[in-house]
Amino acid sequence: MSIRSVAKKDFLDVRRSKSVWIVSGLYALLVVCFFYLGQSGPTEPNVVYQLSYLTSIGRVFIPIIALMMVYLAIAGERESGSIRYLLSLPNTRRDIVLGKYLSRGAVGASVILVAFGVGAVLAVLWYPSLEPTVFAGVAGLTVLLTLAYVSVAISISAATGSRSRAMAGSIGFYFISNLMMLVPSFSIVAALKYVLNGRLELGLSDYLFEFLRMLSPTIAFKKAFPLVVPSEVEAFMVNADPSAPAYLAPEVAFAILIAWLVIPAALGLWQFNRADLG
Amino acid sequence: MPAIETTALTKRYGENVIAVDDLDLTVEEGEVFGFLGPNGAGKSTTINLLLDFVRPTEGSATVLGYDVQREPKAIRSRIGVLPEGATLYDRLTGREHLEWVIDNKGSDDDPAALLERVGLEPAAAARSAGGYSKGMAQRLGFAMALVGDPDLLILDEPSSGLDPKGMQELREIITAEADRGTTVFFSSHILGEVEAVCDRVGIMNDGRLVATGTLDALRENLDLAASISLTVERVPDALVADLEAHEGVHSVTVDGSTITVSCARTPVKYDVVTQIGAATTVLDIVSEDTSLERLFNTYTNGEQSGEGDADADLAAIESEVSA
Repeated sequence: MSIRSVAKKDFLDVRRSKSVWIVSGLYALLVVCFFYLGQSGPTEPNVVYQLSYLTSIGRVFIPIIALMMVYLAIAGERESGSIRYLLSLPNTRRDIVLGKYLSRGAVGASVILVAFGVGAVLAVLWYPSLEPTVFAGVAGLTVLLTLAYVSVAISISAATGSRSRAMAGSIGFYFISNLMMLVPSFSIVAALKYVLNGRLELGLSDYLFEFLRMLSPTIAFKKAFPLVVPSEVEAFMVNADPSAPAYLAPEVAFAILIAWLVIPAALGLWQFNRADLG
Repeated sequence: MPAIETTALTKRYGENVIAVDDLDLTVEEGEVFGFLGPNGAGKSTTINLLLDFVRPTEGSATVLGYDVQREPKAIRSRIGVLPEGATLYDRLTGREHLEWVIDNKGSDDDPAALLERVGLEPAAAARSAGGYSKGMAQRLGFAMALVGDPDLLILDEPSSGLDPKGMQELREIITAEADRGTTVFFSSHILGEVEAVCDRVGIMNDGRLVATGTLDALRENLDLAASISLTVERVPDALVADLEAHEGVHSVTVDGSTITVSCARTPVKYDVVTQIGAATTVLDIVSEDTSLERLFNTYTNGEQSGEGDADADLAAIESEVSA
């Protein structure tokens, strides 16, 4: 299996990267801080509230971690020429993209799972209840968010030929999909709404614009939370509007998040297959 | 079945740049083929086309009978490649590089034996490749190319970064591989290093294959001059005219006490030496086998001279030699 062989070598390589260790250490430290602060306050400690704070920070940081760990996976090898070794061996270009996705996805998922593992130990020690179902659900969705951005970074890395372009693409995607989407009234979608409804007076439904926003992996991640968090917990601030159309349901958000795992990587592979790697 | 065969292979970049122009090249199984040409002649692009790193604008190519674009995996499992200018993985040790290639190719080679074959110390192989010198990296790359006993070795500028000892060892390995029946295809911009090992050479210039054949055949066809220089005590007046009258002497130049004679064939050099020796006292003799460099230069610069005759000559030679 060439995919496995490509992934194995890449895993060996990337796990020696200092930046990966620093980033995963920082994320684990963040988890420790949140769980420490949550049980030292005056109110009754509740794991679910800490998880909600963790995810709201995670929405901003995890995409950066994932993009940073992955954007050079293929573009870096193209620039340094080491991809010539990879492609001189019995590997197809598809093996390389999928193998890299597998290895970087495994590293990304490990970073998240280790941090949540540390969190679980602290929750057992410091909190009245671990809430294992919610805990596992939040960890699972966070892994999916990580993989969605790994998929995007793999795609950018496969489609661009140099470090600088891969970096520009990753930063651009981060701004568009994350920073400029998070706050509804300051998002790109709000700007679009201003043009379409405010200027052109098309009178489109607000739900439609909310759906556009949900197409971002970050927002899809946020909107999928009712699937794993019991409805009485309001900490996740998922506005459960009963009159909202079906296309804003958490199941749709979840499907969008899953689509981010597949579609960018597939597009990256398609572009990489056509490219001249001279 | 030829090891490498290209048919009207062409690679254009944009409108104006033709990196490889209508290339028809055949490398037979079991031969050592030297792929020559100055930098930028299209050698690397040709190799990139053979390895499916870049896609041809027109034409096609097969390696070991497989189409390069349709069956790259089948090709890659039976060839060994030393790519040019490729960096290793800084964070992996030399040994890990080899273990990865062995795993990837599904072969059962012994890393230690390969390391010894290319002359890389076990201590060096235990270090990360990030700290390797160019020569060490080249040796490791060569060991990686030898994994799985390939049927065809493609070596792109294999001697770059090697010292003379390394080059000598490289030649020995190439010869040993050829003796085992491996086809070796290697590119170089230095003519001298191919002469000792190559059965046949092909010379590229400006994206076109300007000549193929054995070095002897190419030399013979060009009828290149061999030159000899003698330092003498004094140059007698009549000597130059006498030498010029000698059959097989192209030209005679005198620079102070040095007489340089350009001969049509190498045996003429002996006549020149005896003739000068009879006329004056010879202090030093330098016989230069410049034919090799000149051969190269004639093929690669000839077209740029802009002389219609030279072009016609080259075209005639080309068809003769490759036939």
